Amino acid sequence: MTRTISLGLRFGLWLVMAGCIWGAFFYAWSDPAFIGQSSRILFFHVPMAWTSFVAYFAAAVWSARYLWGGRRMRHDRAAAAAVECGVLFGVLATITGSLWARIEWGAYWNWDPRQTSIVVVLLFYGAYLALRSAMADREIRARISSVYALIALVVTPFFYFIVPRITESLHPEPVINAERKLDVDPRMFQVLIASALTYTVLFFWMHNLRARSQALVDATLDDPS
Amino acid sequence: MPSPASIWVASARAVFTKDWRCELRSRYALNAIALFAVTTLVVTSAALGPAGTNKTLAINVLPAMLWLILLFAAAAGLPRAFVHEEESHTAIALRLAAPPSALFVGKLAFGVSLLLGIEALVAPLYLAVMSLEVASPGQLVIALVAGGYGLAVGSVLIAALASQARGRSTLFSVLAFPVLMPLLLIAIELTRNAVAGDPAGVALPQLLLYDGSVTIAGLMLFPAVWNP
Amino acid sequence: MGSVSLSFDGVRRRFGRVRALEPASGWVLAGETLVVTGANGSGKSTLLRCLAGLLAPDAGTIEHVEDGAALSPAERRARIGFVAPDLAFYDELSAGENLEFFARLRGLPVARAEELLDRVGLPADREAGALSSGMRQRLRWAWALLARPRALLLDEPFQNLDVEGENTVRSLLGEHLASGGLAVLASPVTLEVAGAVSRLDLGR
Repeated sequence: MTRTISLGLRFGLWLVMAGCIWGAFFYAWSDPAFIGQSSRILFFHVPMAWTSFVAYFAAAVWSARYLWGGRRMRHDRAAAAAVECGVLFGVLATITGSLWARIEWGAYWNWDPRQTSIVVVLLFYGAYLALRSAMADREIRARISSVYALIALVVTPFFYFIVPRITESLHPEPVINAERKLDVDPRMFQVLIASALTYTVLFFWMHNLRARSQALVDATLDDPS
Repeated sequence: MPSPASIWVASARAVFTKDWRCELRSRYALNAIALFAVTTLVVTSAALGPAGTNKTLAINVLPAMLWLILLFAAAAGLPRAFVHEEESHTAIALRLAAPPSALFVGKLAFGVSLLLGIEALVAPLYLAVMSLEVASPGQLVIALVAGGYGLAVGSVLIAALASQARGRSTLFSVLAFPVLMPLLLIAIELTRNAVAGDPAGVALPQLLLYDGSVTIAGLMLFPAVWNP
Repeated sequence: MGSVSLSFDGVRRRFGRVRALEPASGWVLAGETLVVTGANGSGKSTLLRCLAGLLAPDAGTIEHVEDGAALSPAERRARIGFVAPDLAFYDELSAGENLEFFARLRGLPVARAEELLDRVGLPADREAGALSSGMRQRLRWAWALLARPRALLLDEPFQNLDVEGENTVRSLLGEHLASGGLAVLASPVTLEVAGAVSRLDLGR
């Protein structure tokens, strides 16, 4: 990719991001069902959460490709980069989500199904990164962390079984997830989709940078000359 | 000439027998598990007293505490199945001589039998010390067996992973907690139902599904963990 | 014993920043011994482990052919005999119990374990943890030969052995080579080995 095209694409991304921010605050209406202007958080929070889930699955897919697709370090670098970038989006999603929950429902944390799933993702991300940092040899690190990513994927669906149990024991009535209401208004829908796409592109750009910089590090270690 | 299948079974059985023989002679894991379980039991009893007499506590709190005790016990003793092999360098010989799937099944059988054995010790003690009356004892046994199996299979698989890294014991807990969390919560619910006399409901099939999924995942992934 | 050959080309490995093994190439045919020499840290043990299938090399190829078919890494691990200084056994079990365990693992008759213990001159009932270093080395040899491997990978195989022990294992090695097996032997010091010998020096 030539420098001009790369520069052009980056500039385009900045523009779209600016457009989404403008759209979130000025183009879309604020949903009257929510307190004040607080629904605007969702234009950022929902795409962040969505992106962190995308990162989670991408890491698992790349881990599988590493294990059964020829043990190429490229795939392991991609899986690790996905987790590293995914952590950023996941943490931001958790913070923005709990801020909004405080405004809307009065409490920062409810173990609502969505909140539970982001915690699960972050727990596995943290464990994955801790595992990687405990192995110096890159072949062992790639192999073992790929296996863990796949174990995480197998176990994650079971969290959806346990969510009703948590909410039942702490809250007699499960908290209603109100995010579905956003799909109704066309302007809000447009901004939400635009924002989600932009965040996804942003993630893959960050991921690409991270994976490529790691590839350079590996290359210099292989051949210091 | 024995068939490959019968050799495989003999291999798995050999691993199981060897682990128990070594364990009974050194009693390292048994001591660790028993000590942890009894200590946590003592602390629980000292802190809560015979809480089973209080109906709310009996249903809401005590089942969870039992499973926490079992979790600590598992974390104390099960990782040794693989960590010890690596630390004493016997893993090299195993890598060359044992078919990976037979090794995994043998280690799994060892872990399951160890944990079920500890449950047989801890559960009755717990019921007695906490004065906990169980409305459906049969259901409690099912919960302990199915949940215990899940705890063992998850722990053995994660132990295999953690044994390849540095800082193995702390790393084990970090890796195992997210993986075991669904199992624990489902098992706690099943136990709660047994105490209260409610039907098992959807928790039992979910627990069995977890057990099956992690077992299959272990069988498929263990060779990649064990060998390059 | 059927046919066997082992060849490797451009095998290298690094651990983190340390380049443990620079690209190494060589081959061994039936009845031959490849003696690998080099200073400490030149990668002799690393090379042997790569050949054994215990380590995946970063680059290069390894071809272990038996009866005309190239073996997969898993088959290589199962078929080779391996002796190395850090190969350890279960301290709580006796020498005999250790070998019986490994015999069962491989689907071999238990008598094979007794036969080999006898051959290397080890008492079956001594606890492995109580063995002297020389006796432990004999146990390693017995273990390596359990499944009658065609390829022997030997890392400092005469370490700690007394005169009688070294004579025993050298005659075992001679029998192995005479019946068509091959051996790769790593040693920090120059060794004389009977029979057809080729040499690879890893330098540094």
